[in-house]
Amino acid sequence: MRESTIMFLHYVAAVLIMITGLIHLLANNDPVIGAAIKASPVLYLGNMAIFLAALLYHAFNGVRVILIEMVPDRCWTKWISWAILIVGIVTYAVGLQVLMVALGFA
Amino acid sequence: MASEEAKEYVLPPEVLEETVKASEELWKPVRKIKFRIYKYNPRKDYAPHWEEHELEVSRGMTVLDALLIIKGETDHSLGIRYSCRMGLCGSCAMMINGKQMLACQTRVLEAAGSGDVVELRPLDNFPVERDLAADFTSFFEKHRAVKPWIIRNDEVELNNPTGPYKQTVDEYARYYQFTDCIKCGACLSACPTAATDYEYLGPQALAQAYRYIVDTRDDGLDVRIPIVDTEHGCWRCHFAASCSDVCPRGVDPAQGIQLLKKLLIKRKFGLKPHKPAEALPAKVKAEKEG
Amino acid sequence: MEAESEFKEYYAKNMRGISGWFNRAYTIERWLYAAHRITGILIVLFVLAHFYSTGWHPGLWWDALLGIIVTFHTANGIRLILAELGFAVGKPLLIKKPSQRPVSIEGVQRYVVVFALVLFVVLAAIWAYYALIVQPMMG
Repeated sequence: MRESTIMFLHYVAAVLIMITGLIHLLANNDPVIGAAIKASPVLYLGNMAIFLAALLYHAFNGVRVILIEMVPDRCWTKWISWAILIVGIVTYAVGLQVLMVALGFA
Repeated sequence: MASEEAKEYVLPPEVLEETVKASEELWKPVRKIKFRIYKYNPRKDYAPHWEEHELEVSRGMTVLDALLIIKGETDHSLGIRYSCRMGLCGSCAMMINGKQMLACQTRVLEAAGSGDVVELRPLDNFPVERDLAADFTSFFEKHRAVKPWIIRNDEVELNNPTGPYKQTVDEYARYYQFTDCIKCGACLSACPTAATDYEYLGPQALAQAYRYIVDTRDDGLDVRIPIVDTEHGCWRCHFAASCSDVCPRGVDPAQGIQLLKKLLIKRKFGLKPHKPAEALPAKVKAEKEG
Repeated sequence: MEAESEFKEYYAKNMRGISGWFNRAYTIERWLYAAHRITGILIVLFVLAHFYSTGWHPGLWWDALLGIIVTFHTANGIRLILAELGFAVGKPLLIKKPSQRPVSIEGVQRYVVVFALVLFVVLAAIWAYYALIVQPMMG
């Protein structure tokens, strides 16, 4: 994948985080709006799934950017990218399960 | 007749006197400044050390003037690189009080400000050649890597040119700003990414890549994309804008890199910046007019 | 012997390293760059803790501090998305003054920086209101 694709998705993920993260914050901090949002748990779970995916992509890609700037060696760069991708996917899988439990779906 | 004409060019004595007075004022020593100069020869020395020189400086004296005086009078072994003394060649960029500047364009009193110490170091993030001279090998390699020349696919026209390529003023304005680059290395030296990432192409090379990509005569976007759109290409720029801040020629490389990113994203959705310009067929034009 | 050559190499390369990220000599964009990077790393650390013990957050005043970190990253991130996609950096010049200052710093970008900082303060204030007043009432 070209670097421009990765970084464009980085910005798209940033915008998604702003929207879904705001919903997540309101749901847990504002008594009135929070109750309205949590009235439909399926939609809120969907929101959280998108939020988690975007957040993990943005965070791990940010860490990858910092790491490959610190270790610019070509060989290391490749390994860093793969390691970050695998860690990200595993975290997403575990995170989804935890979300299902926390929201009472399993 | 001839003597009368010659007479017109002679300055009136009072103006001449004023001019001499002003120039004397400009070159009169006004303040004693201490120069802290970095001395290091990587082939011989174990570690760098600092040497201090005191000099009476005048209002018009540049850092390069002062360095040449020091080199001529007190320290003959001082290693500096300079050539044109007027900000055109880009040889004498160095760290003056912690910021990248051209030594020939910076006055000593301007650099010293209210203090009386001027600290001179070689450019950050460049290998040291000797004392204040930096090694530009990798810098020029990066510049070469982005293919800084016009790439075209019409070989017949290139081998047997029939006329000049069309270009309007608006099209010229897209890239004119970036042609002013003198390759002094100040931008790469100021870049925070280059402080750790030696593979990073750097503001200079990326701005030059943009300059050739948006040139309407050029057709090399798809050739240059694999070069600039890599892990150490234009996406490692995070717009700290220090390169534009230190550029002595107003080239504004940061702007070039951001516009290059915009162009790459547009290319992702199938948009090209321009069609390669066609040659103005001189013969046809002459026939039409004639 | 090896240590000595490494020592020499360090000075011969003259790389600033990570301390080069935090240079004070330049314009405000450089400060924002450094702050964006630091807040990003801090947010990743918080997010990992937030996942590990589900829903963990540091509590009262620390929550307000977390708000400052997150809202700064958000507000400055909006500015960066605009700039890095080439929207708030102005156009290349055809005519330059003798000592031309860069358009990408002193053009529209000035207003975008001010907008981002104001947005940061407003968002941080709202977050602090929720962290310090609404959250304790909810129990």
